[in-house]
Amino acid sequence: MASLLQPDRVLYLVHGEKKIRSSLSTLYFCRYCSELRSLECVSHEVDSHYCPSCLENMPSAEAKLKKNRCANCFDCPCCMHTLSTRATNIPAPLPDDPSKTAMKKAYYLACGFCRWTSRDVGMADKSVASGGWQEPDNPHTQRINKLIEYYQQLAQREKLERDRKKLARRRPYMPLAFSQHTIHVVEKYGLGTRLQRQRPGAPITSLAGLSLKEGEDQKEINIEPAQALDEVEPLPEDYYTRPINLPEVTSLRQRLLQPDFQPAGASQLHPKHKHLLIKRSLRCRKCEHNLSKPEFNPTSINISSECQVLLTLTNPVESITHVTLVGCEEGDPEDINSTAKVMVPTKELVLAGKDAAADYDELAEPQDFQDDPDVVAFRKSNKIGFFIKVVPQREEDGDVTVSFKIRHDFRNLAAPIRPSEEDDAPTEAIWLTHHVELSLGPLVA
Amino acid sequence: MSDKQNAQKSAKIAAGAVVCVESEIRGEVTIGARTVVHPKARIIAEAGPIVIGEGNLIEEQALIINSYPENIAPDSEGVEPKTMTIGINNVFEVGCMSQALKIGDNNVIESKADLGRNMILTSGCIIGACCQVNTCEVIPENTVIFGSGCQRRVQTERPQPQTLQLDFLMKILPNYHHMKKTVKTTSAVTPAKN
Repeated sequence: MASLLQPDRVLYLVHGEKKIRSSLSTLYFCRYCSELRSLECVSHEVDSHYCPSCLENMPSAEAKLKKNRCANCFDCPCCMHTLSTRATNIPAPLPDDPSKTAMKKAYYLACGFCRWTSRDVGMADKSVASGGWQEPDNPHTQRINKLIEYYQQLAQREKLERDRKKLARRRPYMPLAFSQHTIHVVEKYGLGTRLQRQRPGAPITSLAGLSLKEGEDQKEINIEPAQALDEVEPLPEDYYTRPINLPEVTSLRQRLLQPDFQPAGASQLHPKHKHLLIKRSLRCRKCEHNLSKPEFNPTSINISSECQVLLTLTNPVESITHVTLVGCEEGDPEDINSTAKVMVPTKELVLAGKDAAADYDELAEPQDFQDDPDVVAFRKSNKIGFFIKVVPQREEDGDVTVSFKIRHDFRNLAAPIRPSEEDDAPTEAIWLTHHVELSLGPLVA
Repeated sequence: MSDKQNAQKSAKIAAGAVVCVESEIRGEVTIGARTVVHPKARIIAEAGPIVIGEGNLIEEQALIINSYPENIAPDSEGVEPKTMTIGINNVFEVGCMSQALKIGDNNVIESKADLGRNMILTSGCIIGACCQVNTCEVIPENTVIFGSGCQRRVQTERPQPQTLQLDFLMKILPNYHHMKKTVKTTSAVTPAKN
């Protein structure tokens, strides 16, 4: 909910390598460390690739082959929106009888946002709905491929020499490990998988590196060095006087999205295949477990009267949770942003557990919590609304920000069951404290 | 309801046009044949008459208004009423607002677009959704204005006239809505509800 409405009103402080304050909807909670984690305290790993428009999943190897582009979807070269295929009926002569014409379907690509069509750049309409569209070939592809092969070979040679030097110092029974440095050298030119191939049946010995060299067929690839030309094509005579046709000039962004050609004219902007996006998995850096979503979710802020603020707290777990709010003390090192004093309720607030069936059960007896009406405004199933008093400290035009600490109990139901002497011991509750910052908006005179 | 009928005295709707009764038409408005005006569309001729051509499609909550410029009070003297002309085959999509005095043919004004009074659209122009354009200029033919920054580009072909859509609407709308009475353009007759 915070992510939809007011993402930056309520900020939580995360104790990681850096102290980060961000809203709960962007934070994760590690069940094993029982701590909040932000996106910077976790390691991101690529899970899979998918196309954002056709949602086709593909494994990383296939994505690499296709240069991280989708085979079916195109991007508009003008506004980078997704192109859609449209059909028109055109009269075309029948193959049998040239004098009669029949309606045939012709397909073209069109952008719904900027109304670019494939006919604008002169691409002919295709007779198949998908698969007929080709990207224009880069005239330099051959030279580039040859250069890549040559450098891959060079990298391989360098790697072998480094390993041989290392072997000379190390004892022979150490396996031919891929040292960190050589992996980088090899990965530099994208060679990783080839060197991991060993001949089947042969034991991996320390001298395997040397024998590989003879096993692989070493074509000597020679490249011609790039030649510098003395004569350059002169500029056309009217280069300075010709009036500019502004709609025809491409913007930098349009130009650089096609690094092969970088056309200066809009009539040469061809559509490119759509770039793939990745799904990533997050891993806590401290405990190396995969992360899960956060547990707590203070949602909306309603300013009901001048100095009293109504906060809503929702309990997402199914057990009763006890929450205590404590104001930040003077000289608290984490309290850097608050511009107002806050008086939080001193009593402990109790939130009922989330009960999915309670919504439908109108006759359920309301749970009997003794609520102080000065503190608790309303209570509804697993939500509670309570008041805090805010006293702005400074008469300034900036936002009023208050900070306080929330202390609550948390039962880790997903932790592995540890064998204990008492068989029926309930899961231990641990008390967690979070530093929260609330931005209440500007002061009204 | 009755004041609506009184105000409609000057609306001339040509035969063949389909104008729903729920639309609000105030002032001197002339609507050409084969034009479809959806319910809740508003055509308000305050500061002068509005002439709408043939084959136009004016969708719900569209507002075509010939209003007084901001610095002139409605009652001041010496203000000549300027006629707003709209050509043929234009599309005014849902929720757009147009105050432009002169609109040509085959233009598309997309949803929630906002045209100022001093604009002149030629033909084949597309004003993109949510684009606010109130400069004082003539938009060249086949221009597309799109994006949050109102970027422009020129397209090679003009948008197709929405003949299929118009035919469909002219058949279906009378099944579900009452229509305003059409009049012959030579005589002005008070249109009454069907």
